[in-house]
Amino acid sequence: MIPELGHIILITHLILCLIGGTMPLLAEYTGLKIFQIPIKKLSVFLFLLISISFLSLVYSFLVDDFSVAYVAQNSNINLPDYYKFAATWGAHEGSLVLWILAMNAWIVGFLFFTHAKDRDFLASVFSISCQVMFAFSLFTLFTSNPFERILPIPPLNGADLNPSLQDFAFTVHPPLLYFGYSGLLIPFAIAVSAMLFSKETKEWAAYSRPWTLFSCSFLTLGIGLGSWWAYYELGWGGWWFWDPVENAAFVPWLLSVALFHSLITSQNRGIFGKWSILLSIFAFATSLLGTFLVRSGILTSVHAFALDPERGLFILGILAFFIIGSLMIYSIKDFEHGEDKAYALTSKEFGFLLNNLLLVVLAVSILFGTIFPLIYEAVTNGKQISVGAPYFEIILFPFAIGLGLLQGVALYLSWEKSTSFDFVSRLLIESTSIFALIVLVLFVLFDNLYLNSFATIFLASWIAVGTLQVSKKRNLGYWDFLRKRLSVTLAHLGMAILVLGVGVVSSYSLEKEIILAPDDSIKFGDQVVKFESIEDSLGPNYFSKKAVISFDDGKDVSNLITEKRTYSPSGQLTTEAGIETEIFKDLYISMGDNLEDDIWSFKIQIKPFIRWIWLGALLISLGSFLAGIKQIRRLA
Amino acid sequence: MNPIRKQRLYALIAILLGSLLATWLVVSALSENMNLFYSPTEMKEANINQDVLIRAGGMVKPGSIIKSKESLNVSFIVTDYQNELVINYQGILPDLFAENAGVVVRGNLGSDGNFNAIEVLAKHDENYMPPEVAKLIDNKK
Repeated sequence: MIPELGHIILITHLILCLIGGTMPLLAEYTGLKIFQIPIKKLSVFLFLLISISFLSLVYSFLVDDFSVAYVAQNSNINLPDYYKFAATWGAHEGSLVLWILAMNAWIVGFLFFTHAKDRDFLASVFSISCQVMFAFSLFTLFTSNPFERILPIPPLNGADLNPSLQDFAFTVHPPLLYFGYSGLLIPFAIAVSAMLFSKETKEWAAYSRPWTLFSCSFLTLGIGLGSWWAYYELGWGGWWFWDPVENAAFVPWLLSVALFHSLITSQNRGIFGKWSILLSIFAFATSLLGTFLVRSGILTSVHAFALDPERGLFILGILAFFIIGSLMIYSIKDFEHGEDKAYALTSKEFGFLLNNLLLVVLAVSILFGTIFPLIYEAVTNGKQISVGAPYFEIILFPFAIGLGLLQGVALYLSWEKSTSFDFVSRLLIESTSIFALIVLVLFVLFDNLYLNSFATIFLASWIAVGTLQVSKKRNLGYWDFLRKRLSVTLAHLGMAILVLGVGVVSSYSLEKEIILAPDDSIKFGDQVVKFESIEDSLGPNYFSKKAVISFDDGKDVSNLITEKRTYSPSGQLTTEAGIETEIFKDLYISMGDNLEDDIWSFKIQIKPFIRWIWLGALLISLGSFLAGIKQIRRLA
Repeated sequence: MNPIRKQRLYALIAILLGSLLATWLVVSALSENMNLFYSPTEMKEANINQDVLIRAGGMVKPGSIIKSKESLNVSFIVTDYQNELVINYQGILPDLFAENAGVVVRGNLGSDGNFNAIEVLAKHDENYMPPEVAKLIDNKK
């Protein structure tokens, strides 16, 4: 019964989305009152519908209703309840429902927190969002219905949730990412409506800014969590692999960052109007393209999803419809696009222009490397290639340097023209001192210096000093600082911390693959690594070999536990890494193969400053979230 | 020149320089980091430069996995059901590596005709098939 209820409600949602997607625009263009509908109420009602539909799917998981095909494929009687709940978005079909739920939540938020006098404009934003939701609901119902039954004989037990997904970070990572992706719907709908209604640039940019910031905040957190999860769960100790699916999230992130910076200029100066519109369209397009790449399975990726070309084509169709449609409006309609204002090379405007140029060109280059295997295959008639991680690293490096240098000076710049440049010498002196201090600390901690980390360490100091000095110079009281500068300070400092983490971890890391028998020990860096013991153990839905390994650096001894789990019923193996976290480094060990008796291979690693990467991401996310709230309060 | 034209010129120069730099970077980075994929059959037919990093793949032949007891050396055979290729690897294999499962490796072709892998690709899911391998199997059916 319950799955059917969810199914029917999803269909109702689809139909109401069609009404919401057409009526307000009809009302606008015909001027007929009968087409007017209460959009706020409808948005809330839609949200209730999609929530009930989603909850009925959750319910089917919790009660082990294996007659529902999706539940049978992704759950199991022995699965702990918490993971049954999270398994709802463990695969494609449930993810889509959650995705629509996220879009709907953003729309409700937008309608309730945007205080625009122009009701028709809000109605248009709502209408366009409904059209996108309609497309997604249609996609879900036709190609990926989560409520499909296995009848007449349902299986007695399910196939189980993929074991590497049975983990806390995984359960939060996808929803955050979906909220981030789908949040880009709002700037898109605003941009299209701004063209249709020929809105003044300053006005629509103000509406769009908070939602772009929120979206960026969720994307940052989602990507950061994904990276953390990959680090401890996959057992390789890596934190970024340049996998197509990671790139598919990284590219919209870069564009959302570019967009909210461009919107600052549009809102304050009334310029970059056309550019902001194009960016809004393409940021949304790349988030759809990301879905396409992930769901169609046409690229080799560590992320396993059901491969279905039909789904890929459907998403490509949605993408083409909305992107071509909005670009046609862009090229045909003569809309308000702001004024031309003069600004000097030393102005804040030019700083934002450079920022956008670097971010967008970087995003395009990464996107190109990601889809190049497809282009190559099409051109050479089936020859297959992959683009290795070094490609992306070579591309990223110069852009990161450029962006970092710009970020350090950007906050000092003034609109139109900067007149005073005394800050340059102070910035140089202070950041060089900080740089020297960090290098010294690293030398004391790790007894080593790596020249190739100097550029990133300097960049991190440069950004941090540039951020803090500007806040100090304004001479704000404690309270004013919190109100005016906290968000930007957090976000920019977060970037400095992230850059430092990346720089240090990529040069100071140690790793080695070793073979040990119980009681054997081996020297590794300044640690003595000893295989203490091994035992069998039993979990709720797996059995495992648990090894205890001690790391002794002469002062402290840490015992790390690493496991090799075999999950039932799938029989799949997973490795649980043993990790000891300290402020400046992680000790990391993962179990490899059993050679004979109790002799095992292990991979041991020391990862300095790795936590700083995620701390940085967390601060960036927090900063952009607070900035979004600040914008909303400013509008109210 | 009036200020607005002047600033357009600056913006244009910045955009041109930026895209030129990016194009140059993309082309040079791509030409060095493009790894072609070969099936065991293609590997036999093609004339492959041993210095170039390539990828190979297929199904792991049952009974072909030989693990050393003293070191991390391992060798196995991948097959596309027409030809076979011996893969040598030193290191820990991913959890999902198994007989009769699809696998993709990255490395160089050795002078003895065997493949020296520097990376064996791991997957999240045991049912997942790398697209390259899935295509090989489809072709043979």
